[in-house]
Amino acid sequence: MGSRIQLAQCTPDQAKVPDVEPGGISSFLAPTTPVEGLYVHVPFCRHRCHYCDFFTIAGREDAFDAYVDRLKSEIRASASCIQGPLQTVFIGGGTPTILPPKLLAEVLQEIRSALPVASDCEWSVEANPETVTPEIAAALADGGVTRVSLGAQSFQPERLKALERRHDPATVERSLQRLRSAGIDELSLDLIFAIPGQTLAQWESDLDIAVGLGIRHLSAYSLIYEQGTPLTRRRDRGEVAPIPEDLEAAMFEHAIRRLDAEGMRHYEVSNWAIPGSECRHNLLYWRNQDWWPIGPGASGHVQGIRWKNVPRLGLYLEGQGLPPVTRPEQLDEDGRIGEAFMMGLRLLQGIPVQRLESLLACGDRSGARRRAIEGHVADGHLIMDAVSLRFTPRGLMVADSIMVDLL
Amino acid sequence: MPVRNFSIIAHIDHGKSTLADRLLQATRAVSDREARDQLLDSMDLERERGITIKASAVTVNHHYDGEDYQLNFIDTPGHVDFAYEVSRALTACEGAVLVVDAAQGVEAQTVANAYLAVENNLELIPVVNKIDLPAADPDRVAMEIEQVLGLPAEDCIYCSAKTGQGIQELLDAICKRFESPRPSQIEQSRSLVFDSHYDDYRGVIVYVRNFDGGLKTGDRIRMMSTGRTWTITELGRYTPRPEKVKSLGHGEVGYLVAAIKTIDDVRVGDTITLELDPAEEPLPGYEEPQQMVFCDFYPATADGGSGKKGEFEALREAIEKLRLNDSSFTYEVQHSEALGFGFRCGFLGLLHMEIVQERLEREGGVEIVQTAPTVTYRVKTTSEETIEIHNPADLPDPSQIIDILEPIVKIEVICPEESIGELMRLCDGRRGEFRGQVYISDNRQMLTWEIPLAEIIYDFYDKLKSITRGYGTMDYELIDFRADRLSKVSILVNGEAVEALSLICHKNLAEQRSRSILKKLRKQIDRHQFEIALQAAIGGKIIARESIKAVRKNVTAKCYGGDVSRKRKLLEKQKAGKKRMKTVGSVNIPQEAFLSILEQNE
Repeated sequence: MGSRIQLAQCTPDQAKVPDVEPGGISSFLAPTTPVEGLYVHVPFCRHRCHYCDFFTIAGREDAFDAYVDRLKSEIRASASCIQGPLQTVFIGGGTPTILPPKLLAEVLQEIRSALPVASDCEWSVEANPETVTPEIAAALADGGVTRVSLGAQSFQPERLKALERRHDPATVERSLQRLRSAGIDELSLDLIFAIPGQTLAQWESDLDIAVGLGIRHLSAYSLIYEQGTPLTRRRDRGEVAPIPEDLEAAMFEHAIRRLDAEGMRHYEVSNWAIPGSECRHNLLYWRNQDWWPIGPGASGHVQGIRWKNVPRLGLYLEGQGLPPVTRPEQLDEDGRIGEAFMMGLRLLQGIPVQRLESLLACGDRSGARRRAIEGHVADGHLIMDAVSLRFTPRGLMVADSIMVDLL
Repeated sequence: MPVRNFSIIAHIDHGKSTLADRLLQATRAVSDREARDQLLDSMDLERERGITIKASAVTVNHHYDGEDYQLNFIDTPGHVDFAYEVSRALTACEGAVLVVDAAQGVEAQTVANAYLAVENNLELIPVVNKIDLPAADPDRVAMEIEQVLGLPAEDCIYCSAKTGQGIQELLDAICKRFESPRPSQIEQSRSLVFDSHYDDYRGVIVYVRNFDGGLKTGDRIRMMSTGRTWTITELGRYTPRPEKVKSLGHGEVGYLVAAIKTIDDVRVGDTITLELDPAEEPLPGYEEPQQMVFCDFYPATADGGSGKKGEFEALREAIEKLRLNDSSFTYEVQHSEALGFGFRCGFLGLLHMEIVQERLEREGGVEIVQTAPTVTYRVKTTSEETIEIHNPADLPDPSQIIDILEPIVKIEVICPEESIGELMRLCDGRRGEFRGQVYISDNRQMLTWEIPLAEIIYDFYDKLKSITRGYGTMDYELIDFRADRLSKVSILVNGEAVEALSLICHKNLAEQRSRSILKKLRKQIDRHQFEIALQAAIGGKIIARESIKAVRKNVTAKCYGGDVSRKRKLLEKQKAGKKRMKTVGSVNIPQEAFLSILEQNE
């Protein structure tokens, strides 16, 4: 008994142990599955930033060719599982645009030829400013990419340094120009606030610069001290001081005001868009719809099952076709309802009344959820009217505290 | 055969147990091969802590001046928490060997134990032990013994329990200087119970000293305090191995077994007489042990209110089992809304509490959350009653209280001269009344205070040790219950009083204590979606306040690239954390807050 426990503790990371053999996930699912989205993960980065807890790898340029070959094999294999048409394709990372233009083009081509993609499909790619060369921009546009999300993070060199981001702020504008010239108009920026040492004035300036660049979409994330990241360890050792909560709140409130004044609609906790330019792929997540994951570390959700491809490059490259997955999870009805609240309330339009009623009609905790909602409506954190259940501006600030009661 | 009944008494770590072992070896009771360190201490815990918790008695023979003597050596606990047990053990003796470390000199428990022996009219043989140590200064220590205890320096025996030096001289002195047991005073038989312990196979083993007459196997005996009767199935002596005997004669010491099932049937200090021809009066001096310090034990993983009973039952079993061997602590089921089900336990003193906790964890295999100790208060009410309370929450309404009395102890501290100033300030701050100062040697003094027990049960001993850089020693003794300006301080969270957080405190210190408690609470309670007022009040009067500002922002920015499971698990963790908390009004107070608040280190 004792030795068994020890063995388990010696396993370096349980998440790395495959729970399902390669290809096994397809046995969970109906033969062909209506799937609305596709997520493709490219884990490579020039440098692994200390706050990042995604599955990323630095310094493996040697593996690019093999990786793209492997991705193509997985894409072909998934074709038998996916019944389209795919409404969205999202290539994220890591840094997808770290791949040479030729390889990036191959990935895009493989998706288009192997999978049932809708003609008006949204094709999003994440990019880091320093990687967007004219060749990359051309490869993306030629491959049918309609939307690029650029990781600007900040325009203050000092703050970029604090995040371990290496680009020159000026490259952001240059990259946007290159993408526009190539014909991609749906452009988004990612910004991070609550960076150690950041002042409200610096954040205001970041937003001013961002809106001045004529983008159609903006994601503003507060820096999160994720478990297990070097940044969090530094904070725990007292080497990095998080900014005060009140300042973080003020930054968030400023973003809401400033972007609204620019005509960008706050449509999700961290996302703003000119109406019509919302990221359709991310909306799938929030609406609990179905998407298929490609690449190690990618998560998917199909037919009420959530799973994640095993995040190990070596293991991935060794195989063919569908990769091994970890943590397949099928929640019971009550769990799925909790998730629907957790995700749905992130959208500012909230959960439409009809859907709300069907959610509240079932599940073990329907009575408790109804009471929790009534309590938070009375406290002024939620609004429930003829249209939807949604956060008030005040409730949005403490959304997690409230969602906990609805899980 | 002439009989000598004696104890060895000493300050902790002055070598009492080693000396006992050496005496057994010297009398060939234990062969050299068999000799283990500290043979008399049977419990691991005792061995580790270097203290003897329960008394036992060993019989050996020694040849002196042409005659064989029966030496009955009665071991005693070394700490004042067990003063009553020490005192009972001493009652069974005619003499005591007072052991003092040749390097450390007279310490607080040396003095306390010596006084106890003198109170019991025992002859004392002072022994300066550990003379083999490089730092030994036996002459100085002998002078200290003379100075503080009035025992002539030239009467001291110098010895080393380690090397065996002086041991024969000590054995001879025991035969020569200690008196024989007094003759029987009445015709009926009377034996003193001076200890007992529980044996899984034989039931309770009772240690007795015969004062009048003797006992033999098959005798029908009666415990005089309860009137209950038993038949002796076995009599014996420890040599130190148990050796059965048919009878124990007048003045002798040994054990008896009588199919007694629980230790509560045997009271230390009780008198045993024969059922057929009972004595009319018991031997003098029996009293119930008094629990002075109280605290709650909860299972460490108690899940407030979720009905998880497993850990609680494990704790109950451990407590019941330990109680088989230690009837001097009390327990009753306690329910705290914050910490779930547990037990409120009473102890003879602080060390006793620590020992019980450690034994529960070690022998019972349970993990314990211990609340801070409180003392017994006596409350005089308007209905002319005096009630004892162990928990501030049990205090009657202030309008019904005439006076609150608290236990006062006399503490004796022996310390280096240079720490006296700081020690004075410490005791002043704890409502201590300085009572006297005795010079011990060139740079050491013994100081006496009268001080409320409540003031020394938290961290006083640690403070004393740090002030004296480890050199100070302390002993205390309950002397009185006195009324003072004590009142109940209630802690209010958003206007609602939380009983589990209330405390009894002197009015002069109430404000300061309350402020420190509120500050701690502020750190323990997370920000909520609204501002939280924390207040301390005596009656209706607010004496301190703090506030916890409303949470400004708690919303996860990103959604982990579609890794919804992960996000959900993070929230579930928050939710589980919230469940374990006690909700007052709509404020969630974590368990830790209830514990941290009780640490009173300002």
